Amino acid sequence: MNQDKVTINRSVSEIPDRKMAIIAESLYLLNLLIIPGLAFFILIWLFAKYDNATTMISGCHLRQAFSASIWAGLLLVLVTWVMLSTMNHDSPYTWMIVIPYFVICHSVLVLLGIMGLAKALAGKKFHYPIIGPSS
Amino acid sequence: MLYSSQRIAKPYFIAAITLFTIQVLFGLSMGMQYVEISIPLISFDTARLIHISLLIIWILFGFMGAIHYIIPEESERELYYPKQAIQLFWIFLSLVIVTFFAYLLLPYATLAKITGNQFFPTMGREYLEQPTIIKLGIFAILCAFTYNMTMTVLHGRKTVINLLLLTGIAGSTIVFIFAFYNSSNLVIAKYYKWWLIHFWLEGTWELIMEAILAYIIFKITGDREIVEKWLYVMVAVTLTTSILGIGHHYYWIGMPEYWQWIGTIFSIFEMLPFFFMVLFVFNVVNCTKCRSSNRALKLWALSTPIMAFLGAGVLGFLHTLAPVNYYSHGTQITSAHGHLAFYSTYVMIVLTMISYAMPLLRNTVTDKIGQRFEILAFWIMTISMFCMALFTVIAGIMQVYIQRTTDINLPFIEIQNSMNILYWLREISGIIFMFGVIIYIISFFVAEIKKT
Ligand code: HEM
Ligand SMILES: [Fe+2]
Repeated sequence: MNQDKVTINRSVSEIPDRKMAIIAESLYLLNLLIIPGLAFFILIWLFAKYDNATTMISGCHLRQAFSASIWAGLLLVLVTWVMLSTMNHDSPYTWMIVIPYFVICHSVLVLLGIMGLAKALAGKKFHYPIIGPSS
Repeated sequence: MLYSSQRIAKPYFIAAITLFTIQVLFGLSMGMQYVEISIPLISFDTARLIHISLLIIWILFGFMGAIHYIIPEESERELYYPKQAIQLFWIFLSLVIVTFFAYLLLPYATLAKITGNQFFPTMGREYLEQPTIIKLGIFAILCAFTYNMTMTVLHGRKTVINLLLLTGIAGSTIVFIFAFYNSSNLVIAKYYKWWLIHFWLEGTWELIMEAILAYIIFKITGDREIVEKWLYVMVAVTLTTSILGIGHHYYWIGMPEYWQWIGTIFSIFEMLPFFFMVLFVFNVVNCTKCRSSNRALKLWALSTPIMAFLGAGVLGFLHTLAPVNYYSHGTQITSAHGHLAFYSTYVMIVLTMISYAMPLLRNTVTDKIGQRFEILAFWIMTISMFCMALFTVIAGIMQVYIQRTTDINLPFIEIQNSMNILYWLREISGIIFMFGVIIYIISFFVAEIKKT
């Protein structure tokens, strides 16, 4: 019984392209949490350099993380910028909309990234709802 | 269920759910007063006192129930003192009932006087309002409980889960000693008060929560090794961030300025334990090969980390940086965080445990109807609490903006008036939450009991 589990664990870490999947999802999260921009550029570089069209899990996670990062940028930077530049800064209502929008959007994106990372760690595919490509 | 002393969990759970219901009712009565509908007989301050005290107490009941259930199973033996465990329950419950009615019926000052607060002053601080003798009672109960659990584990199998539970309850008991320390210097009094409140909520209780979550996930997946591996990670992160994270309560109470740096830096990372909880459950639980047929349990177990991430992690982070907290301290933003964090971590983990243990304790058939009610209750409670926190955050932003960033000098009450609509929305969410609680309670009565 115990023997069984060890072999299952080993087989997960032996999935050959699992590492790249983990890196892709980590970069998505780093981009959202600690080093916005920089992590995204590394992700673009990996996306361009490595085969992202394969059906292997690394290809899946690279495509998903790449697409989701672009959407995250649009939702967090562009939409917020549009809101802030069109709304009146001297009204509390502006902040009552913009801050909750940003916080909810950001936390949902981070949660999705954590799930993506969890699946990458488990050596499985993951599909970002709406913001990830469907294949 | 393998050991008969696990049955002691049942009265604890029933008491927890009952007190929970009463707590929510008192919350609703306060929400009404916010929108200027007066409630006969119950003043705002009494309701607030009861609302907060009951919250802490019923979660303790929930934890004690959970721990009475888990410890025998993990230790592979009966409780060391099974009889005393059930006596302890009744003593605790009577203490709670006496205190409840004392709060409700007596003016607080009178209560302080007749319980001799002038000789040993510990009363009057938020969360620590209990008369000194009641505090002594709670402390004695915690000691007896910890002792019984420790003896059980020492004479049985030791696992990561039960050792962590022991650490959690022993730690909670030790820091409760600070409830007895009070100083006439307000700064020092507050300094030590947070040792108790912060170290319970973000320290020892968080450890208990992680242990219960790990136990439940182990029950769902059947793989102990990987659960324990993650448990080490979560505990390590909790301990390294939460201890100095206490600084986020020291920004403006008169402590030296370096606390603003310490509090800010360490509490940024206090969201990490919740990050890892989400990572853990979604990494480990593979729904295609779940053992358990309890759908409600899976829903609770997978949602608890997500909601905890939002309530404690995100809403905590939102106001934990000293420059932000400078504006938000003690506003509705704090209240929003307090509500969502408590619901998402401790309420949800206790209800998760009840969802797992109650059917086994009551010997119910894997009942479709009860499950359906429970799942419905889950969604109603979780969504309405989320909305309540959202409306309260929005009210808080408005409050901060008008009260603390502009030069308009409106009286406090007028500012509160301008947020009336948000207070209405909050109260409506609260009423919907109450419906959720009612449906939750019904779910126990519609369940079919197996005939033996
Ligand atoms: C683990 C679950 C948590 C619970 C149950 C919880 C609950 C609470 C409660 C009830 C308060 C109000 C205290 C008062 O009366 O002043 C509070 C305050 C606070 N919490 Fe938490 N909390 C949790 C986690 C966190 C985390 C992870 C952070 C930081 C990232 C955080 C940051 C804060 C801050 C900064 C305050 C002070 C608010 C103010 O200045 O008014 N909390 N918390
Ligand atoms: Fe704290």
